[in-house]
Amino acid sequence: MRKGGPLFFIVGFFIFSLFGWVMFPKILFLEKTQPIDFSHVAHGEEAGLSCEDCHYFRADGSYAGIPSIDKCMECHEGGTGLEGKAAQEEEKLLEFAEEGKEIPWLIYSRQPDNVYFSHAAHVKMAEIECNTCHGDMGEREHPPIYKKNRLHPYSKQTMAMETCEACHQERGVLNDCFVCHK
Amino acid sequence: MKEVHKNGVKWGMVIDLDKCTGCGACSVACQAENNISFRKDETDRLRRISWLEIYQISNHLPYPHTRVIHMPRPCMHCDHHTPCVSVCPASATKTGADGVVSQVYPRCFGCRYCMAACPYHARYFNWWDPTWPKGMEKYLNPDVSPRMRGVVEKCSFCYHRYHRAKNKAFMEGRRELREGEYIPACVEACPSKAMTFGNLNDPHSEVARLAKSPFAFRLLEKLGSEPKVYYICTQDWVRKQADNYLEEERLRHE
Amino acid sequence: MKKETIWYLDRRDFLKFAVGAVAGIHCSPMPWWLANDIALWTQNWSWRPSPQKGPVSFINSTCKLCPGACGIKVRLVGNLPVKIEGNPLHPINQGGICPLGAAGLQFLYSPSRIKSPLKRTGERGEGIWQEISWDEAIAELVEKLRDLRTNGNSHTVACIDGQRHGTMSRLWERFLKAYGSPNHIYTPSVEDTYDFTLTLMQGEGNGVGFDLENTRYILSFGCSLIEGWGAPTRMMRAYGAWRGEKLGNRTKIVQVDNRSSITVGKSDEWIPAFPGTEGALALGIAHVIIDEELYDSNFVKNYTYGFDKFKSLVLKEYSPQVVSEKTQVPKDTIIRVAREFATTKPSIALWGRGKGSRPSGFYESMAIHSLNALVGNINRPGGVLIPKGLPLTSWPDVEMDDIGTQGYYMPRVDQSKDLRFPFVAHRLQNMAANIQEETFYPINMLLVYEANPFFSIPDNLSFIQATKKIPFIVSFSSYMDETAMQSDLILPNHTYLERWDDAFTPLGLQYPVLSITRPVIKPIFNTQHTGDIILSVARELGGPVARSLQWHSFKDVLKQNTQGLFHYGKGIVPEAEPKEPWKGLSKESPSLPFASSDEMWNRMVEKGCWYDPAYSFGKWNRIFTTPTKKFEFFVTKLTTLLPKARDEVFLPHYEPITLEGDYPLLLMTYELITLVNDGIGNPPFMTKILDDTLLKKNDVFVEINPKTAKQYGLGEGDYAEIQSIKGKVRVRVHLFEGAMPGIVNIPLGLGHTAYDEYLKGKGVNPNEIISVVKEPVSDLALGWGTGIKLVKV
Repeated sequence: MRKGGPLFFIVGFFIFSLFGWVMFPKILFLEKTQPIDFSHVAHGEEAGLSCEDCHYFRADGSYAGIPSIDKCMECHEGGTGLEGKAAQEEEKLLEFAEEGKEIPWLIYSRQPDNVYFSHAAHVKMAEIECNTCHGDMGEREHPPIYKKNRLHPYSKQTMAMETCEACHQERGVLNDCFVCHK
Repeated sequence: MKEVHKNGVKWGMVIDLDKCTGCGACSVACQAENNISFRKDETDRLRRISWLEIYQISNHLPYPHTRVIHMPRPCMHCDHHTPCVSVCPASATKTGADGVVSQVYPRCFGCRYCMAACPYHARYFNWWDPTWPKGMEKYLNPDVSPRMRGVVEKCSFCYHRYHRAKNKAFMEGRRELREGEYIPACVEACPSKAMTFGNLNDPHSEVARLAKSPFAFRLLEKLGSEPKVYYICTQDWVRKQADNYLEEERLRHE
Repeated sequence: MKKETIWYLDRRDFLKFAVGAVAGIHCSPMPWWLANDIALWTQNWSWRPSPQKGPVSFINSTCKLCPGACGIKVRLVGNLPVKIEGNPLHPINQGGICPLGAAGLQFLYSPSRIKSPLKRTGERGEGIWQEISWDEAIAELVEKLRDLRTNGNSHTVACIDGQRHGTMSRLWERFLKAYGSPNHIYTPSVEDTYDFTLTLMQGEGNGVGFDLENTRYILSFGCSLIEGWGAPTRMMRAYGAWRGEKLGNRTKIVQVDNRSSITVGKSDEWIPAFPGTEGALALGIAHVIIDEELYDSNFVKNYTYGFDKFKSLVLKEYSPQVVSEKTQVPKDTIIRVAREFATTKPSIALWGRGKGSRPSGFYESMAIHSLNALVGNINRPGGVLIPKGLPLTSWPDVEMDDIGTQGYYMPRVDQSKDLRFPFVAHRLQNMAANIQEETFYPINMLLVYEANPFFSIPDNLSFIQATKKIPFIVSFSSYMDETAMQSDLILPNHTYLERWDDAFTPLGLQYPVLSITRPVIKPIFNTQHTGDIILSVARELGGPVARSLQWHSFKDVLKQNTQGLFHYGKGIVPEAEPKEPWKGLSKESPSLPFASSDEMWNRMVEKGCWYDPAYSFGKWNRIFTTPTKKFEFFVTKLTTLLPKARDEVFLPHYEPITLEGDYPLLLMTYELITLVNDGIGNPPFMTKILDDTLLKKNDVFVEINPKTAKQYGLGEGDYAEIQSIKGKVRVRVHLFEGAMPGIVNIPLGLGHTAYDEYLKGKGVNPNEIISVVKEPVSDLALGWGTGIKLVKV
């Protein structure tokens, strides 16, 4: 071996591996914040709402997901007398309501049009806990940063096909195309 | 042999041609349900997309003995060595454990091998990007994903309606569906109730009972692809045309 | 050259670095993520619409695309309708739907929708419009109406109404009466045929019901039973019920038709009779029934008048031999069918060609209906019934001032029910001729509601020509159709998915049904309900017109109707799917469970309809209200009208029809359920499923028997020109064994010059070359066939 030995290899490896681990995600993902700094803690523990008050199943088995602004306004109509930061956030909500618009929430687990997902099958039948897929969303005071992939419209936090497949495999559920695709 | 679903469901359809009036409601209901696009000129049968085609068949007898009837033709969802599935190089089409032949659009790269393989011309290619007149895209059904140019599409037995029915059953704490809870849009629309849909594996189902009728037949049964769409017709000439032979084949068979 | 450096990166080191870099990258998530993301990026079809998700809900309503009055169930996602399905609660369609109904949303979002009131600024038909406000539009209409009325010309306002079975037509009638015009004219329909046939032979013609679900033998004279005749979906449901019976126990369908239609293909027997000779065939069958004494002697004796005269006429003139020569039907067939018809019970004879979009011959209808009387199948299960009327709230009398009275009692411009022949109503052909030849008073304003006569009536070009003499044409169309194109002011109506409306008992149903249409989406354009416009115009006109139409909105009118049903107290507002309602005819209907009329209205809106299947058989004095209180083979009403005529005129007999000009071939139009041919345009979904032997690119195919085609040197797909006394059209030829030699069959519904790129310019409109023939005695305009020449081009 000549001078330097494996040094250049190690340097190259180190720099690019660092780039791949640290820089690349920063470049790939566009960090976005939610339109309203929503606190699940404030709604759950403090206001005494249960998860199902907003994230409920409809009678036909479909899932409401993120509630529409009408749902928010059931409680917030005319303001709830909040103070400080919370009042500012509520003001944003009231503005959306005033304009008759839905809140443009960034949906972490948004899936493409050709993916079918049934909350009823996973929650009602397979009895999977919400946090298995959604993490500690319910205990958060602030929503996590939304990391939008620059190459496509989905977030870093969304679930990829192999994750679905692996879980199905593990639980002995079919992996036929039409189980999840439409 | 393929994997069998643990509850052994095999979805199938029976179309009673004695009752069918050839009105085309099934085809239109299918187009509306499945976001099927349309173009200015749709008279080219090789280019137009119509998952449920209405075939016109005639007994070819001279006047005044001529008879013409119309016959709806969805995807046959072949059960055995499904011709389209076996040729797909992209695994974009598969036979599910419940017998429904799936098609996943983003996976398809448009080689159209499956279209060549399908004996029933039940597959359609998107030669153009589907477009709708301004504003009309508002009626699109979110349960079915719109396609894009360069992919093949076909009848799915309205699988999304199966999902919908299952969701409802899950809410009621049921794992199994009752007969009739899941029917495709065509069956629901049929004004003369000529179409029946259900589990062919369930001997008590209406569809299994009808499939055993002495007047039941399938299209091109000689191919052995075991279609899951049955027809019933008491008119002999219709049944005879269903399993058509070329002239030289006929000689060999007879 | 060589320098001493510590950091000297030579080629080898660079390669080491590069290999290290590649390895390093691969030990990071970057390539795996990229592979995935690039795959997803390739699936980024941003130009492709992405349907909006949301909660699914259903709204029951009623389809208004044809008079069939099917219940529909509209599926909504969020507040957007995404699909129209059949309402399983509705007795007419029981969950089924026809192709037109299923394509309904294509009307809502049609590119042909008129988006706001329009005023013509260019020449008529040029298509140059100015958008105006509703206030301006109404003001202009009111001003013109007021001027005409003040000058005593109220009768010169005419309204063409394409929807006879609903409260809207009642409202138009009332408005025109109060205003002072008798000219409320419906578009042509076979209904007028039933109306006069029953008026003459049974006394009253307010609706007829055919108890088809309960019949065992159907002799159909050219009715496209399963292709849109009567209430289309009800007929297809009935067909499914017949064919659902065990083999050998199925209702036999015998179809008299000149081409092998879908109905023929699905019938048990096809009798090809030469078109126009159906009446003769019926009389030939009557001959056999009378001659062999197969008729219901009890019925004939007790409930008919003039049988002896009919008998002697039929026995003398219509022997199977003679009839066979006239109709081209073999003698043996006539005899066999007559025997089957008379001995299978119950059996029914039906008339009304095609879908029934135009009237049938006067004596032809009488001849065919005589068969029903011969076998005694009137007012009996499986026969011809007179359904009960809808027990709607009756409105107070119209307040008439002098101008109104004077105008209203003027003769009608279409000579409907005039003194010369008072039994035939709604004759647009006469209206056109009278305007053109200025034989009557002029028409100063034409209002067109839910109709497209400029396209749909036979010899439409003469009609359009005549309307050039009308100074002011107002269209209420939702779509830019041929009639709207030629109008001066357009006040666009909401589509049926955006408005309140209703539908009365459809043609041919045995029992009364009231179906409610309700908005399923807020109006998507700047349109207004024509009913509300009538009410505001009435308010603006003031005086007796305003006082006669005092409702606040059209919805109030509908709501008030329900009070009548509530007080009637019986019937069903469905909670569960009706199980074969036709089996409930002889049962007592349940009482209504509602505490108030409002409660009933709400439930009807929610469920979609009210119906009352109970039928009181017997009660002959309700069925036969002729001067003799019997079924009249010999029509006494005609004897007073034509005192000097020979006996034959008062009896069903065969009148050969002479076509205009000397032409070697006969052009026959036919109707398809997959092709709309009346007031609206065919939706793209339906145009798509047309056979390619019917339409190819923009060319329509006509059916010709191969033998006939050979005579003219025509082969499959050849271009040919059809020439008639009225004009010529270019078509392509489809050789079809099911076409009668010597006859060219052409479909109705193509050849639009209006609408959008999905319909406009496809095929030809046969109405343009059809010459209308006046039937002797009745003066009825028949427009189904015409003499033609065929030239290869």
